Amino acid sequence: MSTTQPGLFASFNGKTHAFLPGETILQFVRRIEGDNLIPTLCDAPNLDPFGSCRVCSVEVGLSADGPRKTMASCHTPVANGYHIHTSTPAIQKLRKNIIELVLTDHPLECLTCEVNGNCELQTVAAKVGIREVRYPAGEDHLDRTKDLSHPYMRSDFSKCINCYRCVRACDEVQGQFVLSMAGRGFDSHIVKDQNVSFNESDCVSCGACAQACPTAAISDVFQSKANNAEAITRTICNYCGVGCNLEVSSTNGEILSIQAPFDAEVNQGHTCLKGRFAFQFYKHPDRITDPLIKRNGVFEKATWDEAYDYIAVRFQSYIKDFGPDSIAGISSARCTNEENYLMQKFFRAVVRTNNIDGCARVCHSPTALGMQRTFGTGAATNSIEDLKHTNCILVIGANPTAGHPVTGAKLKQFAMKSGNVSIVIDPRRTDLAKYATYHLPIRPGTNVAVLNMMLYYIIAENLADQHFIESRTDGFEDFKQHVLNVDIAQMEAVCGVDRELVRQAAMAYAKAPNAMSFHGLGVTEHSQGTFTVVQIADLAMLTGNIGRKGVGVNPLRGQNNVQGLADMGVQPHQGAGYLDVTNDDVNRIYNEFYGVEVPKHIGYKIPEMFNAAIEGKLKAMWIMGEDVVQTDPNTNKVKKALNNLDLFVVQELFMTETAKLADVILPGASFLEKSGTFTNGERRIQRVNKVVDPIGNSKPDGQIVIDLMNRMGYPQPDYTPEGMLAEISQIVPFFAGVTWENLGINGKQWPVNPDGTDTKILHEESFKKGKGHFLFHPFKESNEIVKHGKEYPFILTTNRDLEHYNSGVQTRRTANVEINTEDLLWIHPEDAAEHGIRDGDKVCVESPRGKVDIRAWVTDGVKRGVLSTTFHFPEIMVNLVTSDEHCSESMCPEYKVVAVRIRKSKGQFAERSLV
Amino acid sequence: MSKNLSELSFRKGMEENLFESMGIAARKEGSPGKDDLDRLAQEFLIGKSSVYGAASFYDFLKEENKGKQVYVCNGTACVCAGKQGQVQAALHHHFRAEQIGHMTCLGRCHENAAFHYRGKNYSGSAFEHVEAIMRKEDPGHDSYHVGQLGPALLTVPSSGLDGVHSVLQSALKQGRDWALGEIKTAQIRGRGGAGFPMGFKLESCQQAKSEVKFIVCNADEGDPGAYSDRYLLEQQAHLVLAGMMVAGFITGAEWGILYIRAEYPEAVIQVQSAIDEIRKAGYLGKQILGSNFSFDLKIIQAQGAYICGEETALISSIEGQRPEVRTRPPFPTQAGLFNKPTVVNNVETLAAIPAILGLGGAYYASLGTEKSKGTKLVSLDSFFRKPGIYEVEMGTPLAQVLEDLGGGFKEAVKALQIGGPLGGLVPVSKIRDLTLDYESFSQQGFLLGHASVVCIPREFPMIDFLEHLMDFAQYESCGKCFPCRLGTKRGHEMLKAAKEGQATIARELFDDLLDTLQQGSLCAHGGGIPLPVRNALQYFSEELKPYFHS
Repeated sequence: MSTTQPGLFASFNGKTHAFLPGETILQFVRRIEGDNLIPTLCDAPNLDPFGSCRVCSVEVGLSADGPRKTMASCHTPVANGYHIHTSTPAIQKLRKNIIELVLTDHPLECLTCEVNGNCELQTVAAKVGIREVRYPAGEDHLDRTKDLSHPYMRSDFSKCINCYRCVRACDEVQGQFVLSMAGRGFDSHIVKDQNVSFNESDCVSCGACAQACPTAAISDVFQSKANNAEAITRTICNYCGVGCNLEVSSTNGEILSIQAPFDAEVNQGHTCLKGRFAFQFYKHPDRITDPLIKRNGVFEKATWDEAYDYIAVRFQSYIKDFGPDSIAGISSARCTNEENYLMQKFFRAVVRTNNIDGCARVCHSPTALGMQRTFGTGAATNSIEDLKHTNCILVIGANPTAGHPVTGAKLKQFAMKSGNVSIVIDPRRTDLAKYATYHLPIRPGTNVAVLNMMLYYIIAENLADQHFIESRTDGFEDFKQHVLNVDIAQMEAVCGVDRELVRQAAMAYAKAPNAMSFHGLGVTEHSQGTFTVVQIADLAMLTGNIGRKGVGVNPLRGQNNVQGLADMGVQPHQGAGYLDVTNDDVNRIYNEFYGVEVPKHIGYKIPEMFNAAIEGKLKAMWIMGEDVVQTDPNTNKVKKALNNLDLFVVQELFMTETAKLADVILPGASFLEKSGTFTNGERRIQRVNKVVDPIGNSKPDGQIVIDLMNRMGYPQPDYTPEGMLAEISQIVPFFAGVTWENLGINGKQWPVNPDGTDTKILHEESFKKGKGHFLFHPFKESNEIVKHGKEYPFILTTNRDLEHYNSGVQTRRTANVEINTEDLLWIHPEDAAEHGIRDGDKVCVESPRGKVDIRAWVTDGVKRGVLSTTFHFPEIMVNLVTSDEHCSESMCPEYKVVAVRIRKSKGQFAERSLV
Repeated sequence: MSKNLSELSFRKGMEENLFESMGIAARKEGSPGKDDLDRLAQEFLIGKSSVYGAASFYDFLKEENKGKQVYVCNGTACVCAGKQGQVQAALHHHFRAEQIGHMTCLGRCHENAAFHYRGKNYSGSAFEHVEAIMRKEDPGHDSYHVGQLGPALLTVPSSGLDGVHSVLQSALKQGRDWALGEIKTAQIRGRGGAGFPMGFKLESCQQAKSEVKFIVCNADEGDPGAYSDRYLLEQQAHLVLAGMMVAGFITGAEWGILYIRAEYPEAVIQVQSAIDEIRKAGYLGKQILGSNFSFDLKIIQAQGAYICGEETALISSIEGQRPEVRTRPPFPTQAGLFNKPTVVNNVETLAAIPAILGLGGAYYASLGTEKSKGTKLVSLDSFFRKPGIYEVEMGTPLAQVLEDLGGGFKEAVKALQIGGPLGGLVPVSKIRDLTLDYESFSQQGFLLGHASVVCIPREFPMIDFLEHLMDFAQYESCGKCFPCRLGTKRGHEMLKAAKEGQATIARELFDDLLDTLQQGSLCAHGGGIPLPVRNALQYFSEELKPYFHS
């Protein structure tokens, strides 16, 4: 935010005020007087000034009484000494005359219009005092037909006023260019692609156009601009880790629609089709509304007391007979911080085991570990808003336009600008890769090779930031020797990218005044995942890109609260606040705080839990909000483990593949039905507010945990976010200053100091661990390739699509499934031809673990020998083929490198091959 | 305009231009195919809607242009001359109605009866020989007078390549500051109509920090009645090109782009041959004449849209975007073509540079009036005894130009429209009050503009003329701003109904409409059209009275 500079003064309507450098007349007047003085139609808070409606015209003179000129305030910068007149009779007449012209080509059926009462044209027309349209009837566009083709988007261009807001939103916000004006003059009209319907177009259904439209010309099936909501509740999206703020409209306990607030620091009025439209799962008939206990292989409805007793009695007997470590829990990144805190507290303080883990294990555990080893803190160093201050982005193993759409759109906007440098390291030509300055299409599993090449070139070409290295880091000399010994020719052959391209990318990253890196699961879900994260940290330290705006290492956290899950202690080796459970001092603190003795030995990580279950060491598991059967690798093994338990408790919204195997199912509540906080990928703790009551007899997950704590004799007050945060802030050091109240509408980025001030940038003066630590790791081929590469010559890498979220348990229960109907297999045209596979054919993909049938999408978006697919649909169950290989350090599974062979399907696996 | 589209369009540099590619794709059928547009969208990483939206804007790219074979000029001079009915009739013998389109102003105002067939323009009595034209036996040459009152700076006999060499040589030798200094001393103002000081633009662009800059020659002479730029492009291309090179040298731009309208096919050929000649002589490319100055020239052929004469629309057009007027700031000298610093100047302004450098800025400034320096080309239409292009010193009495050079009117004329469709309507009674310079026209409530003179014959109904003007305004409105998109349309509907006797116009509403257009419009298109209308209402109030009610 710019601030006033001395000497910059202008006046409007006779009063003088200081103005900000670069401010337009409209911004100046609105900053001081609000929206009332100057009406607008083509202006929008998240779009550049455009100057089409001219309704914002004002008179400007250079002296109080001198001659004045009529100017559009939205795109005229204020200048020193301007005398602005916002509402002279001539200006009022001009505005009225313009609106009168607009109404000559607009239906006057306000009472039956969707946006009646919430229409900007209506508001402005009332404001300028239109009483009649004097023009004789002429040509108009009132006979334009509606577009009802799309599951979400709607258009009715008979109501279009040609303000271009939709076109600009599609361009400036989403970067999709689906909408344009076509024709010219009076014939100008909005088109989608080459004049097709929404459904036929390349629309990504983000809804930015509908939200931008001042009338009902573009809208959505939920009529989100209609004015009939009883309540509007601000909350946080429960899909990815971007943490979009949402405004949910509801009436009579029914959710009507969702929009994105413009004053949200995270998403500035934008969100994606998941956040905006994929909410109806919450009342889907498939919701589990009562506790269920499986008796004789059949789930039967039970009361909460029955379910709690059933569980508590058994847990207590396992603790007595086999010890606390015979029970394990998996908490949920979909749930709130408070609920995750409670879940780990249940296991540590009630069961007294450290057998608690979460889905971070299978996604960003290498990030936490790698960044802890180098920087001391396993979280994003910077904020997404830093994109405004950077010159270069390095995006590794992430497809943010699909996985993190709002951040993805910002990265795409960045990459489209020619003055910026963007480097994408990814086996696939992702949407972002198309726009990147450098795309390094490596063979999956060779991140370490290509990053060692980059490190080599930066050191060899003397582009290392010596000052930063000397003052802020240690371990460099040793590291340097190792890097300079890297065999470039060998690494080039390994990763399959021309060394000159790698060199150029390395130079660009090193030379950029500010460079920011972003990474996703394409970095972490590898046998060398943690080492890759270490290298990314090395790159940042080597070039001094740490500790200020526009730089840093920024993992794109996958789930809405995966950051919070780890923060709250859902890890077998670290408790709440990342404190080491094996440390005596820490143990003392926890014992005192929880009022019981908590264990000091590290518990099971998720893969270890499955092994222990198969070995019979683990008797019971409680999984809250995680579908491990569909999403963890090697499905058959996971099922074997779960089937081997004596008691398996699942807390869920739906009968997932995992829930089907449970003995007891506890019906939890969706994010729309409870309050608490989520922490997004930039460490921002934000308030989740309940919109409607939990459906049926379901309960907020935190209350369920508390009920069981109480049932097992541990006193814990009822679930309230205020109360829980008061407790958490006393034990999690970086939550010290967090209260429910002071989080406000935009939350706070941790660490939050006791006085409530928060932290946008980490490691500004020094690293959490003092000095940053350089670590070198050589490339090592994955065991998957070493063991099976010959027999299974293709590499399958798995990823996510825009329309679905992970297992799809929510999104498949919304109209998203009409847009994206199945998992598809990316296959290079030459590979496809060689195997007689055509676009749309079913392909049998077989690994040493199993086989699945997937429909082919023939594309040169992957190189030869590489295949790619998603795992959103249980009908396909892609994880039947993924392996047990995992990161050597963090045990994160290697979803990204699966040795497979392919053939055109004969059909016997056409239906799901689950036994 | 879209900043993103500007950036993406430039990813392939000037060598592969999106807008040019659309034109090439349209050659076969008159409009690019759906697959062509999809391919371009994919190649340039932009939307299918972006290319479709842009193509649909232009007369010669839009789908309706498919199958058009021949185009009849409906510019003001041809309309006033009243022969277009005969031209249409003659063409109907050889073409089906759907094969006949129209072009607005082929720049044959001196001969009228103009039409365009297969890349060539014809006028005068050519419509009587359509068959010969179709057999390619009629060369289609036109002729007009060229003369001067005062020094000949733009109408000097062409010194061709030698002229280019000597201008370049002296600029390179004496440096960019010298060259800029001479231009600033000359006080030359832009000849396209707006009259903005050229030295200021060049200096602003020179000071802008960017590795890439552009000089754009606005050769989209769309004003019906004006053909002086056509004269310069066809007869004096070396002056224009040399001027662009000097401008590039001053600003540090390495690309000069000539945006030439599709309606001037001969100009494209002449300029291209001049560029080829200059290139062959080694004056283009890297390190010209052993200096550090590198420069290249490229023609972009327009596709039929009057608004492209507006500099920001022209910039968007070259980028392959919809040529809609942009808001300012940023000014093009800061962020113009492809978001890079850009100087856009009219043909005639650039063509004056060789004379300014050759004769000195002080000499140039000694010509003309206080605020209008140098000489100006005037286009006279076919109502004059000696129609043609005349170079006159600024400040010359208008009557002298019309009578001494033009030889006076061939037949009775009641008014002149000077300065294009947005220029004032000068009743013959006011001719004596005007001298040919910006100040005089402005003081008298008119506009010098590009100094084209179109005569309105005594018998031509003023209501018809206004209807024609407003039809042009609504047809050529880019549609971006509300007042112009809707106002010109409603204005035309009212004038048409009045002309056809269906209704009279409410005067108060009409005045409100003119106010709204003038004050509210984003650019001079909607903002300028009220001027001639108001002139007509003032000077021909009696004639127009029956068409209005209060």
